[in-house]
Amino acid sequence: MALTLQQVIFLALAVVVIGAALFVVTTRNLFRAALMLVLSFFAVAGFYVLLDAGLFAVAQILIYIGAISILIIFSVMLTRGMQAMIPRNSQAFWSAVVVAIIFAMLLLLLGPLRTTVNVAAWPIIGSIFPNATPRELGAVPWAYAVEPATGLPAVVPETYIATFGFSLVDINQYVLPFLLVALLVDIALSGAVHIARQRRPIEVIQERQDIAAEDAAEAEAIRNAQQPAPVPAPALPEGAVAAATSAANEH
Amino acid sequence: MNPINDLLNIIGGFIAGIINSIFSFSPFLADAITMGLAAIILCTFAALSFMGLTYAERKVVARIQDRVGPNQAGPLGLLQPIADGIKMFTKEDTTPAAADRWVYNLAPLVIAVFALTTYAVLPFAPGVVGTNLNIGVFYVLAIGSGSIVAIIMAGWGSNNKYALLGAFRTVAQLVGYEVPMLLNVLPVVMLAGSMGLIDIIDHQTLANGNAGIPFLLFFPLSAVVFLISGIAETARSPFDLLEAESEIVAGFHVEYSGMKFALFFLGEYVNALAVAFVFSTLFLGGFAGPILPPYIWLLLKAGAVFTIFMWLRGTLPRVRIDQMHNLNWKFFVPLSIVHLILVIILLKVFVTSPAQQAATGGILVDAWVQAAIMFVASALTLIAGLGLAARRARISRLAEEDVLARRRAENMATAGAA
Amino acid sequence: MIVTAALLMGVTLIAASLLRPKKPSKAKLETYECGMETVGDTWVQFRVQYYVLALVFVVFDIEAVLLFPIAVAFNALPWLAVINLILFILILLIALLYAWRKGALDWE
Repeated sequence: MALTLQQVIFLALAVVVIGAALFVVTTRNLFRAALMLVLSFFAVAGFYVLLDAGLFAVAQILIYIGAISILIIFSVMLTRGMQAMIPRNSQAFWSAVVVAIIFAMLLLLLGPLRTTVNVAAWPIIGSIFPNATPRELGAVPWAYAVEPATGLPAVVPETYIATFGFSLVDINQYVLPFLLVALLVDIALSGAVHIARQRRPIEVIQERQDIAAEDAAEAEAIRNAQQPAPVPAPALPEGAVAAATSAANEH
Repeated sequence: MNPINDLLNIIGGFIAGIINSIFSFSPFLADAITMGLAAIILCTFAALSFMGLTYAERKVVARIQDRVGPNQAGPLGLLQPIADGIKMFTKEDTTPAAADRWVYNLAPLVIAVFALTTYAVLPFAPGVVGTNLNIGVFYVLAIGSGSIVAIIMAGWGSNNKYALLGAFRTVAQLVGYEVPMLLNVLPVVMLAGSMGLIDIIDHQTLANGNAGIPFLLFFPLSAVVFLISGIAETARSPFDLLEAESEIVAGFHVEYSGMKFALFFLGEYVNALAVAFVFSTLFLGGFAGPILPPYIWLLLKAGAVFTIFMWLRGTLPRVRIDQMHNLNWKFFVPLSIVHLILVIILLKVFVTSPAQQAATGGILVDAWVQAAIMFVASALTLIAGLGLAARRARISRLAEEDVLARRRAENMATAGAA
Repeated sequence: MIVTAALLMGVTLIAASLLRPKKPSKAKLETYECGMETVGDTWVQFRVQYYVLALVFVVFDIEAVLLFPIAVAFNALPWLAVINLILFILILLIALLYAWRKGALDWE
């Protein structure tokens, strides 16, 4: 089986990606895991290059390796996960099984996997549905046949970069996801900034007071719920007060 | 003039011809060997220029500081880089005891490799480029960003508190100054209509009917901010607070010695020279120029930019870390964004080609008029930004002085009463 | 395309690793405890500002990466697309201003 150079490079990159990913999920040294994650990002960038999409390869390096891996390493160090003893995940095996099943289903529904399902041939259920027709699942032919109409004026040479860029801001194409991404990123940033901001000492005191007040109010509510409601004062008979006062006045 | 102008092309063609005839049985192998040879030549060029640059830097900074600089090794100290190289080679390679072996050894290699990889896309002459990526400038920025992880590797692998702390702070600085660099390359890409470096140079020359206007005249603000961000990105003076000897004791590479430290050093200078080359390509027109051969023009322009780097190093004091971050996030980034919006609007209103006017509308002006409008807008934004920052700084300074004066008066009053 | 870059890296790797083993001197000092005083664990009080700065950088990184292809197609954009573009940039500018007001960009 003669392999072309492209296939050789593909196999090498695939080995690197899967090997690095396996290392990431099985090692105890969190820092090495982060570095292996960086290596797998590099290999994915190599895949993009194989697909003739240099823009996405470079974007992968810029965003994933330049920003996100730094964020991951920082968050690992922030929570000091490298010093603590990392207990082995006792559910690792069963979660791997579940993930493998989901992955197979995804390959079936969205990817190149294909199978034929013939309910009538199954042992028990087949007798319930004896005349079910065999169905083919998987290998959905995604529609590449039609060129996407870009509407790009001919002033710019039509490279895939220009088409991609135009599709992001064209009102008929992907401008809505584009702006939604901006909003989403905005919200994420605002949330993180709000949670992680440095509280000034007075703010820290205020927060602690607020939390203490909330706790006190909760305790109060619980206490009130446990005790019976206080007995209302017995209703005085009508003339008792008048009789008492007149009696007092007479004395 | 033609042999001199196309000297690099002629030599390259000659060597490629020899290789092709030797390996004529397999064109793929001939291609691979040619590319490998080109890579080796680029690395050698980078290494040689590194040696020359360290010498030039020490001499220039010395003259600015009213002293002579290295003059012992060889005539005029010209063999100083070779002496330094020998020293680096023969220095003992001490490794801290509990360091993570792989990470510690790999970090300087990664930094040096990434720094050298940026040279693959720089055009040295009209046909002489390592590989003409149509995403050239994007690639350069991404490689600069990708080398940041190696700094954390170096800091962590040294198993040293101060190295780790220095690594974090260095990464915060480098990561911060990526943003103005990215945002200020955008106007250039918008005007040139492509991210490839050769296309950008073409738009600044008289080729293909373009008016030969360097982009410096279009976007002075972008040029200035890109230059300063480039200096900060390579952690040179005045932004070298993290490797200064009097500060955190050489920062993240405190535990490295000998060849590995030399690789860090090489990475820094090669990065600085790459920034100089990229700036010359983006804003000054690269290898374009009237009389001299193109590669001489590129070297002259990059040399001029690097002289500015050395000049700033010798003249300016070191900035504090909070000053540096304030400058980046509170001045450069908002200014770059506002400038970008302005450039977008103006480039759409004033167009230069009739085809474009027919397609998307706008006012048709001459190329020089468009350049002048852009220049005025950009310069006004820069001056307005500086004025705003100066006014805010003055207000806060006066408020501080106010507080201090009041406190002083109180102290005098209490001292007088006591 | 990237092959030349990879070849460059390969050449440097080979060159650097060949140049390195030239110092087998002084084997006695193999376990030299160099560096600053190594008192206590090797961790530092990781301040949260570093994390927030990296986060803000991720946001602007994504913005720049999305802006680059649009900049390439810029000359052919109709005015409506330009307005969308300016809207995008303004949304992120507002994020920056929020982070500024909340003091996320202070203290380095």
